[in-house]
Amino acid sequence: MPLISLQDVTKSFPPGRRGGDPVRAIDNVSLDIEAGEIYGIIGYSGAGKSTLVRLINALEKATSGTIIVDGHQVTNVPDRQLRKLRLDIGMIFQQFNLFNAKTVWNNVAYPLRVAGKSREEIQARVTELLDFVGLADKASNYPEQLSGGQKQRVGIARALATSPKILLADEATSALDPETTHEVLRLLRRVNEELGITIVVITHEMDVIQTLATKVAVMDGGRIVEQGDVFDVFSNPRQASSQRFVSTVVRGIPAPDELAALRERHAGRIVTFSFRDGDSSQASVFLELAAAGVEFELIYGGINDIRGRAFGHLTLALTGPGASIDAALASLAARTTVKELS
Amino acid sequence: MDSVIDLSPELWVATYETLYIVGFSLFFGGLGGLLLGIGLYTTRAGSILGNSAVFGTLNIIVNIFRPIPFIIFLAAAQPLARAVTGTGIGNSAIIFTLSLAAAFGISRIVEQNLLTVQPGVIEAARSVGAGRLRIILTILIPEALGPLILGYTFIFVALVDMSAVAGYVGGGGLGNFAIQYGYRQFNPWVTWAAVIVIILLVQAVQFLGNVLARKALRR
Repeated sequence: MPLISLQDVTKSFPPGRRGGDPVRAIDNVSLDIEAGEIYGIIGYSGAGKSTLVRLINALEKATSGTIIVDGHQVTNVPDRQLRKLRLDIGMIFQQFNLFNAKTVWNNVAYPLRVAGKSREEIQARVTELLDFVGLADKASNYPEQLSGGQKQRVGIARALATSPKILLADEATSALDPETTHEVLRLLRRVNEELGITIVVITHEMDVIQTLATKVAVMDGGRIVEQGDVFDVFSNPRQASSQRFVSTVVRGIPAPDELAALRERHAGRIVTFSFRDGDSSQASVFLELAAAGVEFELIYGGINDIRGRAFGHLTLALTGPGASIDAALASLAARTTVKELS
Repeated sequence: MDSVIDLSPELWVATYETLYIVGFSLFFGGLGGLLLGIGLYTTRAGSILGNSAVFGTLNIIVNIFRPIPFIIFLAAAQPLARAVTGTGIGNSAIIFTLSLAAAFGISRIVEQNLLTVQPGVIEAARSVGAGRLRIILTILIPEALGPLILGYTFIFVALVDMSAVAGYVGGGGLGNFAIQYGYRQFNPWVTWAAVIVIILLVQAVQFLGNVLARKALRR
């Protein structure tokens, strides 16, 4: 049974003005997240992903549909029960949302006080957590004295305080510079691998999905338009919005304007070969082209690596006798994806 | 000038009475205003107790009572003061009416200062399972403490101002002293003596408020 399961979930907000239509932030979404996964949800701002993640810990209440987290219903349950459930779900935020009037120590201790832990338990747990995130020396500092990356690490320590099974990360790295982003992503990876915590990552940055997630769902207009293994979605995105996201990190097939520019600089026929691991190797493709007497030049593309699996698109300019090129392409098409660009 | 020296015992009594009236009014009005302000903040749409009917009602009540000039409010609320404190005149009646009037003003200051707390911080507290009352007491008020202290300092000064009309219903204090012995007896020296005491009082309290607020804000 999945750890988090959403069935036909819809969330509408009241209309912005009198007489308007209600705003459908989440439109009939079904989603299963297994224990131990790092599940990425990507979409542009306004796609509904922040609302979606808040349905999981019931900070927002679903209008219809069923949400089950760790075997417990989240929809239509009294507040008291929800508060208990939230102890099992940590959350971190884009703007960190630390308690500014409290020290780092008291920020991390807060959820434990809410959970009614004893003084000794709190002492031990906060020490352990600050060690884990590498901020033991900042215990008595206030949030305003910390850098962005340090703030987010406090946020992570606070979210993990009550030893939750699930961590929700709402654009957790979007306010950070690239280097700090990677530091936080590494920490999140450790949270997943060392502590076995299931992570749901909301982001608009494909880079975050690429380095962190195992599964991904692409959201557009309140719907999930595509979901699956990160490798599958990256190497073969089916929907237009998925393709746009993938193209931000994967140099794939050239866009029409890029193609026009390539044509000006390169003679011959322009063909894109797509490789996924398991397909025939690049070397055999190049060998076969050479054997057929076709000259080729690599003009666009790249090979990507996702968690040890490679895929990519290479665009070649081919010159030589037309018949030889046709024969070679026909033969290669049986073994790998070939697309002639016209 | 000599009359100021002659009247100095009365001046000290008046100073004491002003502190007495303002102190109690600040306590009761401050408490009432804090509750009313928290009520306004929490029932606003989208807040932790979002309830547009309650918010609308509170909002209208505050809007009706807050702008009434205090000297008029004092007269209008006299029957209520009599019913609650047993007397319509004197310092007790003044404290009651002043607390009531101040509560409406303070509620707006409290509401404004609470609104400066980032909604995300409240959301973070909700996400760790904190209940509403706990959020109000352990997150909302501490997060807004610095500006709240400055707000209450501002209110202290406003209360000194409002308490000056206490004499009209038989109350005492520096305002009454200045009118009775200074203005009505054509003795500007006496009036100025009261003014100077008020200035010193206000300076001292503002200084204290600034120190406390700086401590709360850590800057």
